[in-house]
Amino acid sequence: MAGAVYDRGYRPYEGERGGRREARAALFRASVRRALGWRRPWRQKVVPFLLLAIVTVPAIVNVGVAYLTRDTPASGIRFITYRDYVGVSNSLLLFVALSAPDIMCPDRRQRVLPLIFARPLTGVDYVLAKVGAMTAILFGFSFLPQVVLFVGQMLVSKDGALDYARANGEVLWQVPIAVGILSLYYAVIGVAISSLTSRRIIAGASIVALFLITSVVSVLFIESVTTRTEQTPAPAPVFTEDDEQVVVLQPGDENGDPWGLVVEREPTAAQLVNLASLPLVLRDLVFLGQVPEAEPMSGVDRGGLYAILVYAVVVGAGFTTLFIRYDEVER
Amino acid sequence: MPDAAPLLRTRDLTKQYPGVTAIDHLDLDVPRGRVGLVGANGAGKTTLFRMMLGLSHPTEGSLEVCGVEVAQDPISARSRLGYMPEHDCLPLDQTAADIVATFGELNGLPPRSARQRASDVLDLVGLDEARFRPVGGFSTGMRQRTKLAQALVADPELVLLDEPTAGLDPLGREEMLSLVERLGTFDISVLLATHLLDDVQQVCDHVIMLDGGRLVVSGATGSLLERTGILSIDVGAERSGLIALLARRSLASTEAAGLVEVQIDGEADIDVVRDAVAELGLPLHRLTTRLTSLDDVFLAKAAH
Repeated sequence: MAGAVYDRGYRPYEGERGGRREARAALFRASVRRALGWRRPWRQKVVPFLLLAIVTVPAIVNVGVAYLTRDTPASGIRFITYRDYVGVSNSLLLFVALSAPDIMCPDRRQRVLPLIFARPLTGVDYVLAKVGAMTAILFGFSFLPQVVLFVGQMLVSKDGALDYARANGEVLWQVPIAVGILSLYYAVIGVAISSLTSRRIIAGASIVALFLITSVVSVLFIESVTTRTEQTPAPAPVFTEDDEQVVVLQPGDENGDPWGLVVEREPTAAQLVNLASLPLVLRDLVFLGQVPEAEPMSGVDRGGLYAILVYAVVVGAGFTTLFIRYDEVER
Repeated sequence: MPDAAPLLRTRDLTKQYPGVTAIDHLDLDVPRGRVGLVGANGAGKTTLFRMMLGLSHPTEGSLEVCGVEVAQDPISARSRLGYMPEHDCLPLDQTAADIVATFGELNGLPPRSARQRASDVLDLVGLDEARFRPVGGFSTGMRQRTKLAQALVADPELVLLDEPTAGLDPLGREEMLSLVERLGTFDISVLLATHLLDDVQQVCDHVIMLDGGRLVVSGATGSLLERTGILSIDVGAERSGLIALLARRSLASTEAAGLVEVQIDGEADIDVVRDAVAELGLPLHRLTTRLTSLDDVFLAKAAH
């Protein structure tokens, strides 16, 4: 019977007792569990594992195609490169908009914060644990598919696994760094916005709106410096080369123009306004050492440096917001 | 030795919010054991708890909890305390076992020990079978028990209970009070904030009364009840002279049904009354004390 009080005695706790570090680690673990839906109803597990499946599909398809075509002339074709695969999916942004509010807002709405802060930890510990949890999940979900891609390619490579690994060795540091940059960025934005409201739906919508609005504004800016002139009918397809693959441009392609116009752009830093895609510029810096030519940013003097600065400002603003929201004084 | 240190020591403790003084120059020395913190809503009980936890900082003055100066080392102070807030504070979509274990880990316990302790304290509060159900489906009584369990999970030196019987039916209230009473036997001190003097009278061995952020009275429950109350004296017809003399000696008294009733506070006051009667040369036909409950003590003191 639930109402009865049993006298089973009481044993004092004599074991080890950690301090702030252990408390922070515990909050980190609890937040990761929550975001992944562990120890929660099955409905909560659907979103994270669906996302993991979605982001892993390209790697599996890529490895599968490489396997099927490995003894044919088409064996060099790749659908996706390691660089493209960092931040390839908008579902990751959607996941941030769902999970970050889920690990932040209920603490405020259900008034759990006073209980958490009655423990031996500070506001800084709370912020680090929450941002850390979100970063870790995003890192895992972006890194695991890369591992699948790398190991898969290695195994199906006709040159042998070791040769493949040797030839592509640089991605072993490029991928974790780029994925880390991306994960921290989205995590800080998601968690900081979620700290401003106790309603999950409002936080989620605000995160989506921020990414959407800044990307629309950025596109409008870029369009404003773009001129189109009519092209004499070009019978031959246009080839353009990017870092690892040859792309055939035809009317209707994203880099071409559906109406047969020549598209000319002045270099513009307006791409930096797009908060959703900003870390992709840093990703390119990690992989290529420069902004790729196809990007509107290409040709902007010190464009890479500006991108790093904007990144630092956004992450800094996110942490500042969080530290103020969870300041130890007067919660 | 922290064990020998009092539960709580405040010196000139003041907390001001814009337009309100929540705690007003409070000097307290609270011994270990089960202590009741009594006052009407807004008396400053919750503010005092928040300052003990370092969640809110004094405007002036200092406070020491279990021998630790809170302003200097809030982390160490918190690690000695368990806190059960008055308001709802549980994540409703998690099970009681998960919640209590997670809070154990937040107190620095290793995960395995935290789960074991969670299971033990949930047994202790009588939630052994329900602990794998989400708290959202719990009754008020079960939620209160879960809140108590999370406060106890790390075996604190002192638990701060803010209105633990609020919203409970009479049976639930009795059970909660009996749990609180037993905490003393586990060597856990209790500071029980409530506006229900009955609760305090039932389980606490020391009482602190606050009113408007000021200390009304602090003392052992038993001695407050013995020494405080109304003294009824039958001195025949010369009652008004006695009332006037007592008023000059700062004792409030009234005439009621042919008797003089004097508000007293401690044995010294009884001596004052006796001396006044002797001074006026009045006959002392009868002298009785009417001692009822802590409510009388509180009302008498607060009126002063």
